[in-house]
Amino acid sequence: MASSMRGLTQFIADIRGARVRELEEKRINKEMANIRKKFKDGNLDGYQKKKYVSKIIFTYILGYKVDVGHMEAVNLISSNKYSEKQIGYLAVTLLMHENSDFLRLVVNSIRKDLDENNEINNCLALHAIANVGGSEMAEALAEDVHRLLISPTSQNFVKKKAALTLLRLYRKHPDVIPAAEWGLRIVSIMDDDDLGVVVSVTSLVMALAQDHLEAYSVCYQKAVDRLQKLILEHEYMPTYAYYRVPSPWLQVKLLRLLQYYPPSEDPVIKGILERVLQTIMDNSGEQPKNVQHSNAQNAVLFEAISLAIHLDTSSPLVATAAALLARFILSKETNVRYLGLDTMAHLAARADSLEPIKRQQKTIILSLRDKDISVRRRALDLLYSMCDVDNAEAVVGELLRYLRVADYALREELVLKIAISTEKFATSYKWYVDTILQLISAAGDHVGDEVWYRVVQITTNTEDLQEYAAKAIFEHLRVPTAHESLVKIGGYILGEYGHLIANDQGYSPYEQFISLHSKSQFCSAPTRALLLSTYIKWVNVFPEIKTHLVGVFERYRHVLDSELQQRACEYYALATRPEEDELLQNICEEMPPFPPRESALLSRLNRKHGDTEDKRTWIIGGKEANMDREAARHKPSTDTSDASANGVKSKQDDTDILSSLAGLDLSSPAGAAVSEQKSHAESSHSASATAKSLTAASVLRGPHIDRWFEKLCHSNEGVLFEDIQLQMGIKSEFHGHMGRVAIYFGNKVAAPLTSFTATLSVSDPEALSVSFAKIPPNTVNPRAQTQQLLHVECKKPFTTPPILTVSFIAGSHQSLAVRLPIVITKFFEPVQLNPADFFERWKLIGGPPREAQRIFPISLDSVGHIDIAKNTKVVAGHRFGLLGEVDPNPANLVGAGVLHTNEAGKVGCLLRVEPNREAKLCRVTVRSTSEEVAAEVLQLLRDPLGVGSS
Amino acid sequence: MIHSVLIFNNAGLPRLTKFYSPLQVSTQQLLRKIFSLVCSRPTGLCNFLDAPDLTELLGSKGDGEEVRVVYRNYATLYFVFVVDGAESELGILDLIQVFVESLDKAFENVCELDLVFHFDEVHHILTEVIQGGLVLETNVEEIASAVQDKTRARKASYAAANPLSLGGGGPGSRGPTLNTPIGWLTERITGVGAR
Repeated sequence: MASSMRGLTQFIADIRGARVRELEEKRINKEMANIRKKFKDGNLDGYQKKKYVSKIIFTYILGYKVDVGHMEAVNLISSNKYSEKQIGYLAVTLLMHENSDFLRLVVNSIRKDLDENNEINNCLALHAIANVGGSEMAEALAEDVHRLLISPTSQNFVKKKAALTLLRLYRKHPDVIPAAEWGLRIVSIMDDDDLGVVVSVTSLVMALAQDHLEAYSVCYQKAVDRLQKLILEHEYMPTYAYYRVPSPWLQVKLLRLLQYYPPSEDPVIKGILERVLQTIMDNSGEQPKNVQHSNAQNAVLFEAISLAIHLDTSSPLVATAAALLARFILSKETNVRYLGLDTMAHLAARADSLEPIKRQQKTIILSLRDKDISVRRRALDLLYSMCDVDNAEAVVGELLRYLRVADYALREELVLKIAISTEKFATSYKWYVDTILQLISAAGDHVGDEVWYRVVQITTNTEDLQEYAAKAIFEHLRVPTAHESLVKIGGYILGEYGHLIANDQGYSPYEQFISLHSKSQFCSAPTRALLLSTYIKWVNVFPEIKTHLVGVFERYRHVLDSELQQRACEYYALATRPEEDELLQNICEEMPPFPPRESALLSRLNRKHGDTEDKRTWIIGGKEANMDREAARHKPSTDTSDASANGVKSKQDDTDILSSLAGLDLSSPAGAAVSEQKSHAESSHSASATAKSLTAASVLRGPHIDRWFEKLCHSNEGVLFEDIQLQMGIKSEFHGHMGRVAIYFGNKVAAPLTSFTATLSVSDPEALSVSFAKIPPNTVNPRAQTQQLLHVECKKPFTTPPILTVSFIAGSHQSLAVRLPIVITKFFEPVQLNPADFFERWKLIGGPPREAQRIFPISLDSVGHIDIAKNTKVVAGHRFGLLGEVDPNPANLVGAGVLHTNEAGKVGCLLRVEPNREAKLCRVTVRSTSEEVAAEVLQLLRDPLGVGSS
Repeated sequence: MIHSVLIFNNAGLPRLTKFYSPLQVSTQQLLRKIFSLVCSRPTGLCNFLDAPDLTELLGSKGDGEEVRVVYRNYATLYFVFVVDGAESELGILDLIQVFVESLDKAFENVCELDLVFHFDEVHHILTEVIQGGLVLETNVEEIASAVQDKTRARKASYAAANPLSLGGGGPGSRGPTLNTPIGWLTERITGVGAR
């Protein structure tokens, strides 16, 4: 402890006593010199080292640069005494950073402390890694850290630290961490009873899930489950209530985590989430007890609103949220105003309709005048986000007015935003040109070159605009001083289009010349060069002022700047050629339109936001900006991506720019947005497809499991899976296209199965929907059973049964996947037909492709007969109606059934089973109005009827 | 993530400095900059501050992540957290409160002097709240018990090294000369003046 070291206490007291900074520095320099000497002499014991290192740390905390003591700190780490070790670690974490060379020396000591059986030392080591760990440490220690995280013997406080340490290592060196492989195990810790552990692990999962959405998809369910427990069921340790709000930290993290995933399709999860969000919003009506309480409440609320916006911008929840936000931005509390504006910008960035926000336009504009710059910034962002064709003139006008009084720090951003909004949402050219010119004259120094390039481009490419632009810029140049950018625009536009207005009163060539030339002396060389080019163009169109122009060239022939001089000489030579010469005319042809190109402004703004490490779930800007960003995120990262995706992208760029150049009416981005969404959908689809093939590969198969499955396909209850720990049984009932399946999970061992997770995956959600009636509980008690109900609906014929993945911790983390006996025949209803009807339909359907037939070997029963009873059971179990009178041979079976589906309607299916005792073969023929169904039914019947089935 | 945790007194003297990401400029310069940003704001403004110019100073690799300053003023001390966009602002505000309450618990009516003379202890407490720029624990009880465990381990190591020593000092056992608690905290944290 500091106070136990007298020298240190004295040192601190001395420094406190130093009345002026110079004295303090003197004292410190003296001490450092002393320490340096002591270290140099060597032979210090642990206590002395500790004392000197402590002094160094104190000096560092005061903000001084220290360059001694690193080596001693490294030595202290390997001390046996905790007090010395602790100071050693503190020094390492404070004095070193991830690239320090000294860190190499501590890797081994750290590993030793990690492996030790002493949790306090484990923690010191973990903490050190979390602070200074770089890629080298990640390579050396990631395994050890992971082990501490998942080890069942780890204490909670070790687990917490290990989770965050692992996160640090992952950030520094993602390659060494097999994130996808560790996924299920790490997610399972989110079920821990200790909320502290859950907070840390959720942070870890958040980071990993962003890069491995599929591998961590279970966390969605876990997060919803936890929110349900915290908010709806109030199931948490009372110590984790922070001013009566259950662990606001965790809630915020969970709500944020859910925003990284696309909204869930599962009706149960959706339902719970909706109730959770609703409850959070309702809670906000509660009068807060004090500052702390309202802080915590609002932290959760704002994140909940963000999630609601993410889930569905047109839901009633978001309408409630919009109303809440409208109240917030009027709040007396500055923090609330700030966050209200911030969240509203999120809403504006995502919402289909800006109406609810536009209603607040007045308040938002008032917020630009807020006394707090933080609030003003947010208001600016929001105004930019909510700007569209309808309100652009009002908003931009307001921003322009604000520009004159805005803080210096805000101006550059403000200018960029005004310029972009003007270009994007302009409804008339005149307004566009006026606004930009006003912008430049109001804040010229903050206006980048892109802005005036853009004005020139648009004017050149839009013929109707040219005359107006020329007049407008001339008006701006009439005043004695004008910003240089204005002079540049004037030089270009008047040079090209000055002749269009030359006949009007007050715009004569001479006046144009004077207005420009009077400014030239205040301008930089490049601008003067531009003006010289303007003059040579005028020589061509305004012969009446030629003498003035030539005079200017003459003077410039003697300036020092070589570029200007050269220009002047060349232009002088051109201008003084004989009258009938056509060279000048040819040179001064009107400029051709610019080729369409991407707006430099937008690309600059995008660069500003850049690749934000996916941390934000949205960016400032309108809906399109966010969709672009989404698309960019989902674009395959490899450059070998298919040409079509690139084609879509580049085409979209073209149309976007063309529209802004040609029409400025912005009517086309709708189409562009659609194509964006499509490519987005495709890429996400392919991602989920690969994930499915992954899970399918790991499905358990084996003689027992196959037999259980087969049996359940033609019966309504039985065992699905059993091993020494777990038993799963099924009971089911089906009516038409709907079904309910109860799964029983039995724990056969004497310890609870914790972090129990059951998830379903369906290969074709369009055809079959299967969902849990509620989220499965995460513990199965010893020697007990829990039951889960599934809702099943068949929409179209399907072939692949759904897969149930179960994972749990019993000692170690285990996971298994089995097929669920939900097959197409479950949705059959038996039908009774008389022979005549049967044959009529049989013929009507006809042969292949709507007939499927196969001959396969069968086994006979114990006395050598065909097992008619079994066959009957199988056929009836697959829900065919048995038609006794059709086939006179009693061994042959004839059946009929109708498949019920929700979307594809009903499909009839006829069946003949013809076993042959002598050949030990069986022929099965299925005819159905759908080829797919016929083939699938045949496939399902073949195994239970054939050899080897019991 | 949290880039840095700082405590200043009213005069701008740093009482705790902890950076979780490497700095690009000298610490002194950065500290002065941050303090000048914070102290120039009168009370009544919000506790958040966008700081575009800090982004470069903290060197967040030019990835465009904007840096925000969340701060809170308790009597003579400013608690200043520099965080990125991934953190909830109000959450950080809560965290500051948690940190202060933990300090208060460990020192029994913490005052500025405690932070000065027990700077190592302050860091040890901070390590129980934030690790590597991420929130580790928000439960004051948990934090307090973890801190106590550490203190116990340290005392044990003293005792083992020097059987005659009377414990190693530690929170709550201030020397008589230092016993000048200002008592600025407990009454104020719950009141309205907590900003």
